[in-house]
Formats: sequence, C-alpha cells, structure tokens
Amino acid sequence: MLQQGSIPQHKGKAMQSKLITALDRRRFLQAAAAAGLSAPLAGGGAWAQSKDPLKIGVTMPLTGSQAGYGNDFVIGMRQSLKDLNDAGGVAGRPLELIVLDTQAEPPLGINAMNKLINVDKAPVILTAWSAVVKAQAPTANREKVLLLNTGANAPEIAHLGDFVYTLFPLADVDITALAKYTYEKLGKRKAAVLYINNDTGIDAAKIYKDIFEKAGGQVVAYEAYDPKATEFSGMLLKVRAANPDMVHVHGLITDVPMVIAQMRQLGLQQRISSYSAGYNQKLIDQLGPAAEDFIVTSLAPGVNDNPKVTEFLERWKKEQNRAPNGLPYIQYQYDSVLVAAQLYKHVLEKKQEPTGETMREALLAVKEFDSPMTGKTVIDGHRVNKPVFLLNVEKGQFKPLAKLD
Amino acid sequence: MTDPLVLLQILWTGAATSAIFVLLTVAFSLTQKVTGLWNFAQAGFMGIAFYAMFYVLNDLQMPLIAALAAGAVCAALAAVLTEVIGLDVLRARKSGSLMFFIFTLILAQFIIYMLTLVFGTEPQTLYKSIMSPVRIVGGIAVSNWDLTAVATAATMLTLLFFFLKTTKEGQFLVAVSDNAKLAELYGISAKRAYRVTAVIAALFICAAMYLTGTRGGVTPNSPFELVLAATIATLLGGMGRVFIGAMAAVILALIQSFSVLVISSRWQNLLLYGFLFVTITLFPRGINLPRLKPKAAASPSVTVGKPADVTQGS
Repeated sequence: MLQQGSIPQHKGKAMQSKLITALDRRRFLQAAAAAGLSAPLAGGGAWAQSKDPLKIGVTMPLTGSQAGYGNDFVIGMRQSLKDLNDAGGVAGRPLELIVLDTQAEPPLGINAMNKLINVDKAPVILTAWSAVVKAQAPTANREKVLLLNTGANAPEIAHLGDFVYTLFPLADVDITALAKYTYEKLGKRKAAVLYINNDTGIDAAKIYKDIFEKAGGQVVAYEAYDPKATEFSGMLLKVRAANPDMVHVHGLITDVPMVIAQMRQLGLQQRISSYSAGYNQKLIDQLGPAAEDFIVTSLAPGVNDNPKVTEFLERWKKEQNRAPNGLPYIQYQYDSVLVAAQLYKHVLEKKQEPTGETMREALLAVKEFDSPMTGKTVIDGHRVNKPVFLLNVEKGQFKPLAKLD
Repeated sequence: MTDPLVLLQILWTGAATSAIFVLLTVAFSLTQKVTGLWNFAQAGFMGIAFYAMFYVLNDLQMPLIAALAAGAVCAALAAVLTEVIGLDVLRARKSGSLMFFIFTLILAQFIIYMLTLVFGTEPQTLYKSIMSPVRIVGGIAVSNWDLTAVATAATMLTLLFFFLKTTKEGQFLVAVSDNAKLAELYGISAKRAYRVTAVIAALFICAAMYLTGTRGGVTPNSPFELVLAATIATLLGGMGRVFIGAMAAVILALIQSFSVLVISSRWQNLLLYGFLFVTITLFPRGINLPRLKPKAAASPSVTVGKPADVTQGS
C-alpha cells in the first residue's frame, strides 16, 4: 500500500522515484482487483461467507544445498500473497501460505506434504524440485489433493497422475528449443552432453540428445556425473578426445561453474550451453571471462520484455537489498500464487467447498490464468507451453540472444 | 583415451586433487592414532575453518594471510575446546567408545546447523572467481591451484614427519599413541598430547578447506562428504598409520580419476563406498604393507611400550 506519510519530504528526486514506484504498485494492485479476485461473491455458502484464510500449502527447500533458490521462491510467493491480500484477497477472504521445508529431499517432501494434507488441510500444494515432485505425486493422487509444480522441469512430471499438474514448462520445452537452435542457428554439428546424475539431468540430457540427433547433429560424448562430484577432469578429457563443437552442461549452480572452470583449465574452448539453472550472476562472478559466450535458457520474459518484471525486480532489491537467485523461476512463483487464488475464486463462486477435487476441477475449467510475470498460463493437459528466451553472457552480463516460440 | 598425454593429465590432476583428501586424512588419522577416537567432529571444524576464512576475506576484506590465520585459530580453538569441555569429560567418566562416536557426530551436526544459521546454505567460494591460471607443461595443463595443492600437502606432510620424528613434543604424541597410561607414568601428559594433536589436525583441516574453497563452492554440509573420504583412507591405510593413510588417500583419488576410463563418471563416488565396504569386511585393520626396517631407534627417554614408528603405529 502507498504510505505517503512515510516518504521524507526533503529527498527530492529520490522521493519522486519512490512515489512513482509506489504508484506503479498501486496500479498493479488495481489490476489484481480488476481481475476480480477480491470481488465479494453474490450469495454463497458457508465456505464463501467464512472469513478464515484460504490455505495454500508450499513445500520448498528452505535449508540444504538448494535453499538459496528455495528461500527466494518463497519470498516471491509471499510478495504475490501480499499483493493479493492488499487487494482484498479472494471473495473478501485473505490467503495464507503454509510453507514447509523439503531440503529438496524426497522423504522430507513427503513428510511435508502429509502434514499439509492431514494437519493444515490445504487443498492445493505448490512444490518444486523434480525428485520431490515425483515422490509427492502418489500421495497427491491417493489423498486427492491438487499438487502444482512451480519450478521442477523433469518431463516425467507430465505423467504423474490426475492430481499433479505443472505451471512451469517442463524440460522438453526449453531443452528442445535449445537443441534445435544449437543445430539450426548456431550451426553446431557435434555436441557433448554432460549431465548431473539426478532426475533433472537424466531426462533433460536424453531430450537434448534425441532432439539434436533428430535435427541431424551427432552427440559425440554423453557423460553423467555424480551430484556430489567436485573433480571432473577424467570426464572432461573424454570430451576433449571426442572433439565436439558445442558442450551442453545440464547441472545445478553448485556444480556447473566447477565443470566449466575445469573445462577451460584443460584447454576446452568450445561454446557451452545450459538451462535456466545456469541463469545466475554468481556463475559469471565465479568464472569471469571463462563464462563469455555461455548460453542459458529462461522460461520467463526478462526486464526488457515485460515492464512488470522491472517493477518486480526493483521492489525485490529494495526489500531484500540484493538480486534474486534465479529471477525467471521466481517470476513463476509469483504467478503460481495468483493461479491458486484464481482456483479458489472459481470454487467459491461455484459455492463449493475447496477440496483437492474441486480445485482440480477448477483448474481444468478455467484453463487460462492471468500470469503477469510470465505471460498467460494455459493448462494443456499436464503441461504448459511458454516462449523460451535464450541469453548469452557478454562482457560479464546475461544479454538476450533469441526468443523461441 | 589411451593417449599417454591423457593418462598423464589424469594422473597429474588426480594427484593434485588428492591433496585435499591427503590433508584431511592426516588430520583424521593422526587424531585417531593419538587419541584412539574416530573424531567426526572434524567435519564441524572443517566448516568453522572455511567460514572463518570466508568471513575474513569477503566481509572484512582482509588479506589471505589474515584469513588463513583466522581459519587456523578458529578451527584449533574449536578442536581444543572440544577436547577440554567434551572429550576429557567423557574420558573421566570412562564412557564407552559408542558414546565418543555419538558425541563427535552430534557436535559436527550442531556446528553445521550453527553455520547454516549464520552463513546460509548457498555454496560459497573463498574468492569470487574459481578460475586459476593454467600453463601447459609437456602437453599437460597445470594450474596454479594444482601447484598450490601439491606444494601445500607436501610441505605439511614433511613438517609433520619431522615434528613427530625429531621434536620432543612430537615423540610425546607417539608415546601417548602407543600407550597413554604408560606414557603418563613417564611424566608425559596425555591431555597435553591430545590438545597438541587437536591443534595440528586443525592446521591440516584449515589448509584443506582453503584448497577446497578456492576450487569450488562449499556449503555447511560439504564437510561430511570430505570426512567420509578421510575415514575411508584412514581405514585403508590402517588405523594409526598416518602416512600410509595419506598414501591411501592419493591412491583412492587416482583410482577415482582413472576409473573414468572404464566406467561412467557417475559411478566415481560409488567407488569410495565400495572401497569402504571391502576394507571393513576384508581388511578391518587396513592393508598391510611390508614393514620397513626402522633406521634408528627412537629416543629411549620418550619411547614407551612398543618401539615408536610414526608410520606404523599400534
């Protein structure tokens, strides 16, 4: 909310800038209100008349090696929640996030899910990390609770059952586009694929290989590495012997910089690509000039493509005093809360009790969701399609390279 | 892949990388030799050493020497405090070995949780950049990091060897490792020996964490992986045989590196567990190498029990 009284009068341009930001935010809140989320429902049953918060379960890694992303995901969700509640919530009821830690570990993901279902009675759960989503899926299907993936990209997620859907495009979207682009536009004919030996890496590497070979290219090296590995020389020497003209590394921000550093130190100068996990300023900081010409994918529009992202990023920096980890992912987190809110709105309008089943019916009925940060979300079976943005490291910064529809 | 240059490159890089494991194995094995304990709290000391260096370098913007000093002092302080407040108390109570094991494990986990609370779980490197300048020597890529790692491990091992062989304090450690009660009868303080060992182990840990943190990202959980490798090398080398443990660490690292020629990279870490399994089941006292004849007997004034041989302790 705009707090004019809190703006010191003597700050001149700074004050003007703050005021503009606040006004932009007010416009955003008005837009959210215009979407009808806060409109009171005519008539309505006991559920619609209640003022109890509408619960959204969230399971994310808040500790452990993936916590850098997991915590920022939750911050993105909380910003969305605040905007929604500031605009009146859904049908006059506030929304509430119940956030539990998974450490990106499947057993903890299942425990968190059980608590959200049995104790908190959340009918919809937002989650991420492929291994966690896969582990939670049987529980979601058995307990009939809607499980929405907001950041994992293993293609198998599209086949996990009736109550598991994704709001985040799976790897077959961006990796397919990247592999095709590498062959057709970059003119690369021999690729090496290095991937982390987990659910994300195995599936995505296979897609890259299949698409690249289908396009006419040849995958001359195809190597998996252990998620806890720190020494990659042997694997990289295999790659050097295969002499590819492009190397695709599908790993996490913990290992990709080490792989690239050791590649360059062993004299491999090939151009390197990765996926959206590599879209992280820390990688450039760690690699310096060795990161030049590194290509990553992004599944969300950047600051140059969507003014709302600029506004979001400014707000983030103001509140957190730093840039977010994995901005495109966080844009999806912001939008995921809006999707959950739109599901609640639909269910309450129908005077139904919000359960996993009614929320799922709402998802299938509404199908198209307003997603200010990532573009319209259209549920297509158990998948979503979005444009793929390629970015390239130039002079120490990620710069737009191409937009692939 | 049978190109001699490729094999030499794997040999060199594997040897350089093994420096970290060598240093940690020596810290672990020396502690085991002198105190008789499997001190898993060293995983916590690794975290303390790393984050102390990280804080001094990145938050205080002080030079490397200050960071190394901070890392060593903090790790040594933690190790000595653990001795004084924890392990000495357990010894006085005549606690069983399981109690010591649980205590060190819980302490490590506690320290890791504290570090997580303070520094978060994002992987951190000591310097912003992990790139190290490379030169080609006879067709082999040799980075500055490789040279630093090999030189650090070699220097520290040499210093330790001479410390144990030639100084009174070092021979006290050997005497206590042979038989602490008998050593005390000769006026050697076992407690002092344990504390000196804790400090030496902390120095090795600090050096290893410097190398680790300049090569890739470290999280508070990373040390558990490292302490596992040190445990395996200690077991392979044979309990109490510090320098053979160091050799085992090099061999393990090289086997892991060369294994990529015959198996997929993804199985490299599995090899460690395979070795651990085989060692525990088939070589519970380590792999016995032919015993070297001692060139000269250790000083009789400090040698108690069996003749002391730092490479082949009891």
